[in-house]
Amino acid sequence: MRKTVKSARHIPYLFMAPALAIYSVFLVYPMFDSLYLSFFEWDGLSAKKTFVGLNNYIEFFFDDQTARKATINTFVWTLGSLVIPSSLGLILALALNRGGKVSVVLRTIFYSPAVLPLVGVGLIWGWMYNPNFGVINVILKSVGLGDLAIGWLSNFNTAFAATFVTYTWAHVGFPMILYLAGLQSINQDYYDAARVDGANAWQSFRNVTMPGLTETHVIVLSLAVIHGLKVFDLVYAMTYGGPGRETQVLGTWMYFQGFQYYHAGYGAAIAWVIAAFILVLAIPYIRRMSSN
Amino acid sequence: MKISIAPLALAAALCAAPAIAQEKITLRFANTFDAAFQELWKPVITQFEKLNPMIQVKIESTAGSGAAIYPDVLRTSMVTGAPPDVFFMWGGTIAAPFMKSGQARVLDDEYTKFGWDGRFAAPIKARSTTAGKTYGVPYRAMGMAFWYRSDIAEKLKIKLPNTVAELEQNCATLKTAGIYCASTGGKFGWHTGRLTEYFIETTCGPDRHDKLNALAESWDQPCVVAGFQRLRTWIDKGWLVPDFLAVAPNDSRIPVYQGRAFMIFEGGWLEGALKASDQNVQNYSFFVPPNDSANRRYSGFGEQWMIATNTKHPSQAAAFINFITDPAVQSQFKPGTFPLSASIGAKVDCAVTPMECKWKEVISSNMGSYLPTDQYFDKELIGSFYEIQDGIVAGKVTPVAAAKLFQERVVTWKSKQKS
Repeated sequence: MRKTVKSARHIPYLFMAPALAIYSVFLVYPMFDSLYLSFFEWDGLSAKKTFVGLNNYIEFFFDDQTARKATINTFVWTLGSLVIPSSLGLILALALNRGGKVSVVLRTIFYSPAVLPLVGVGLIWGWMYNPNFGVINVILKSVGLGDLAIGWLSNFNTAFAATFVTYTWAHVGFPMILYLAGLQSINQDYYDAARVDGANAWQSFRNVTMPGLTETHVIVLSLAVIHGLKVFDLVYAMTYGGPGRETQVLGTWMYFQGFQYYHAGYGAAIAWVIAAFILVLAIPYIRRMSSN
Repeated sequence: MKISIAPLALAAALCAAPAIAQEKITLRFANTFDAAFQELWKPVITQFEKLNPMIQVKIESTAGSGAAIYPDVLRTSMVTGAPPDVFFMWGGTIAAPFMKSGQARVLDDEYTKFGWDGRFAAPIKARSTTAGKTYGVPYRAMGMAFWYRSDIAEKLKIKLPNTVAELEQNCATLKTAGIYCASTGGKFGWHTGRLTEYFIETTCGPDRHDKLNALAESWDQPCVVAGFQRLRTWIDKGWLVPDFLAVAPNDSRIPVYQGRAFMIFEGGWLEGALKASDQNVQNYSFFVPPNDSANRRYSGFGEQWMIATNTKHPSQAAAFINFITDPAVQSQFKPGTFPLSASIGAKVDCAVTPMECKWKEVISSNMGSYLPTDQYFDKELIGSFYEIQDGIVAGKVTPVAAAKLFQERVVTWKSKQKS
């Protein structure tokens, strides 16, 4: 009897083993391998790797001006990602939280960009922004706003914001769906009680809707932080980090260093800096929100 | 009854052996062919497969970004241990990392086996040779220059320029007629870089330009400032299609197709691209722009085929390269399939591809050429160059500051190489 109980204890581990093996081979090992690599100078092709200790990290924090620019851009992007698509998603969810065919159609329309691959989205928006034949400038010119028709992605002052507009377009649908699910889980009785107590629409929203969406906020905002910090695809496809290095973010700078400039060790160090930022920013936030 | 299975097993093994030996292999062929060019190459692949029934060739293309992304794709496949068997490569510093790292196979034995030495001119082969070893098989000898709309030139009575002043006078004439002088695409940097290189060629002269590219002279000098200033002037005078920094090189052809821009700096491949875009090739021609020197030069570079060191099929890969570089084979296929072939004896049908014919004349003439800057500099340094170039275009950096800043970057880069 005792033997049966003892062997039964191992059964969960047996069930976990395949997933654990896959996880270890495809995630844990590459992760630690890249950490190991970040202490080397390596061109990513040859057999020779030179140990440089913490030099790659020192270069990132003290010498590399583009890394500084990319870090600032990444944090601005993350802040924007935290505020703009999430707020718009909430507003859309509130507006579309009702029955009827129109609402369903609009939900589908707003959600559909979320299922498109971001590189494809970036290319399409790149054409839309094209100064010569892009639909945005064509529309501006046709309504008499030709002075505003500029090279949105070519201009140092507008390239970053223009890329972020695309990010917002692509990312507004997902929080909207999550908020819609959250709104539908709030008991209608609370709203009725608030109405009986004389609460107006704003007070109902502030005291019933927002607390009722706490769990959804945790998911939406933590995903926004993570998506913001690891932004890569859109910047890569739309501006390639330019003009100059104006739109470089940590993800693209990691790629440029690791793949374009043959500094695989330095690229790995940047990857670990991104991971550290995510850990420092996202985990305490998620824990705090979850515990509340 | 006891039956021994040993004889049966032996028979089965003998039957299976030839099947195993003749198992069909797939030869992975990496290149930058666009969709139209892949179509042109389909019969070539089919023919090779017909002659070698146990080999299947699979094209793996990374088209559209020039040398910006393709080398990264190659490198990733090599590091992960799954390189293509045969791969396309440019020359100079783009090819250097693949040779230095030992990822490209030394082909000296194949040169002897297939007699490739007689197939290519020695200077062309030299582009594929480093430290006495040959890593590549020449594919094309490419030239770049200004392609222009000959119909617009005729209409506006624009003559081909013999001096830079005449070229700029043409630009002024075109501007008056409401046509941009040139179009360029700044995304990735290299396409606009062709213009910047040309301007530096005009202001520094051929010899100094070569020394600058070899980093044998300081970039912080008046002729470089003048070259950067020329780029700025072309923008300020409205001679370039504006707002081009985020425009992809291929998209920058559109204003020329539309007749809104007169010319574009492109290579011999444009003839095929014009046909693929349903443009009337009769309306296009090209000229090597003047550099105000007795030694007028075009921008030129070589392209080559390489075999990955870790290929499992080196002999089949070499046989494939031997097939596609054979001038007798090349002549069997549609004109334009092997444009500007580097193989001696490759024929060009001037009636079908007149521009290729014209390029052949230029390349085989005594005219000199200069390598594009991105084949001189390593990728990190060229990244700095393009960053500064963007700054000049956007008016963020003055030509004087740009020359000084780039020289500082050169010094930093050189010190990194020493350490």
